[in-house]
Amino acid sequence: MAGPVLELRNLNKEIPRPGGDPFIIFKNINLTVRDGEFVSIVGPSGCGKTTLLRVINGLMPHSGGQILIDGKSAEEVNQELLMGFVFQGASLLPWRTSLKNVLLGVEGRGQNAKDTEQRARKHLELVGLSGFENYYPHQLSGGMQQRVNLARALAVNPRILLMDEPFASLDAQTRNFMQLELLRIWRETRKTVIFVTHMIAEAILLSDRVIVFSHRPGTVRSEFQVPLPRPRTMDIKSDPRFLDLENVVWKQIEEEVNAAGGFTQM
Amino acid sequence: MNRSRRNLDSTILRVGSVLAGLVFWHFLATTVINDTTFLVSPIVVVATGYEMLFVNGELYPHLFASSWIFFYGFLLAIVAGVPLGFVMALSPVVRDYVNPWMTTLYTTPRIAFAPVLLLWFGVSGGAKVSIVFLGCVFPILINSYYGMRVVNREYVELARSFRLNSRALFFKILLPASVPFVLSGVRLAIGRGLTGVAIAEWFGATEGLGYLIFFAGQTLNIPILFVGVAVFAALGIFGFEVVRRVEAYATPWKTDARGS
Repeated sequence: MAGPVLELRNLNKEIPRPGGDPFIIFKNINLTVRDGEFVSIVGPSGCGKTTLLRVINGLMPHSGGQILIDGKSAEEVNQELLMGFVFQGASLLPWRTSLKNVLLGVEGRGQNAKDTEQRARKHLELVGLSGFENYYPHQLSGGMQQRVNLARALAVNPRILLMDEPFASLDAQTRNFMQLELLRIWRETRKTVIFVTHMIAEAILLSDRVIVFSHRPGTVRSEFQVPLPRPRTMDIKSDPRFLDLENVVWKQIEEEVNAAGGFTQM
Repeated sequence: MNRSRRNLDSTILRVGSVLAGLVFWHFLATTVINDTTFLVSPIVVVATGYEMLFVNGELYPHLFASSWIFFYGFLLAIVAGVPLGFVMALSPVVRDYVNPWMTTLYTTPRIAFAPVLLLWFGVSGGAKVSIVFLGCVFPILINSYYGMRVVNREYVELARSFRLNSRALFFKILLPASVPFVLSGVRLAIGRGLTGVAIAEWFGATEGLGYLIFFAGQTLNIPILFVGVAVFAALGIFGFEVVRRVEAYATPWKTDARGS
């Protein structure tokens, strides 16, 4: 078995403040993610989990520590497209159709244009959007936009898929469907996924492992293997093991929120 | 259905408004004022226009002269304004260099430049084209600059996340995101460019719509004067319509560009 896909060693992020101590977003993050694993990060609002994802993706510099991707430092492989990012707002380009949006990451990389288009079509099909290739984002529902967002990230065949609360802005029903869709897509692609969410049930339903973040400055407070068999359906949410885990995680997050001065302080 | 109903209502209101204006004008000209060296009925204007277009053809040399001047000045303004605006948006150094000039030239009334431009270029096309150019270039420049500066941060992050190089960032993100702004600058430029044509042709020209209006005013030929004004208005409407179509084609995601 090869080494881990992603390794974070003592990763820190702080933002300098003029005339004061730096603002610490997260510190001492150690995390090892193996190939094909689905890991969720949950934590109270403002714990730095989204920032962590952005730092891993290289959208922000870190302030100390190491990020290793397949054993190589992230700085070394920074120009390579190893990660697909699924944004919280779909971040689709309004002047591009679904197909063209999915093409954004794959086109113009020295491959045959026909092949890349084929590739984009295949991924639109994977997310259930065959027939919507020529629709513009404003013609799609919120759920469909997130599907395009996901297809775009998958189309680059990333080593790691980073997902930043991708279903947070969807209505509850659509969100449930999208969670099931993601389970199916993950089953078909077996990508390594790091999924940030504030919804505990979502994290448990989807993941192999759930990481709980403390309040700011964010640290890894605890982590849990999800003891539930796959493939999973919504029925699993009434499994006692599911409910137990949800309870334990919720207690911890509640403690973190209280330690931060209570909910009203957030 | 509601929408088409609203569109119909809207059309009726627009046509009604124009008709009411014309009727009021006719009434004013025939009963209240009744002095053809002061105001004439729109019917007389239409008849004069018809004659100048289809009977004696007097309008054409003026129309062509003005159209060419407008076209060259306008085109030059696009060719110069759009790239310069983009470069200003991308380079703080260029921005600092250009900004004081832009502000000064933009806020100075263009008519103040007309005599000096005529002095430099003589009563040739060059002076007139440069007056039109001065009118058109600033809205295009400023909008192009602004459009590229306010590109959604999200899209820039998207480009970085997908490791697009700076060339791809420009052509795939910054440029298309700026298009609506550039086009609204171009739209503003039409009106200002036509004003420029009128101004340029008032100073020592021997043909053109501006000259026609000026000359008609001097000789109290009110019907021709109004024909000149009407042709200017028609050119403006025509220009707006062209830009609207370009907009609908180039920015299909803007639903408002397709309606109205």
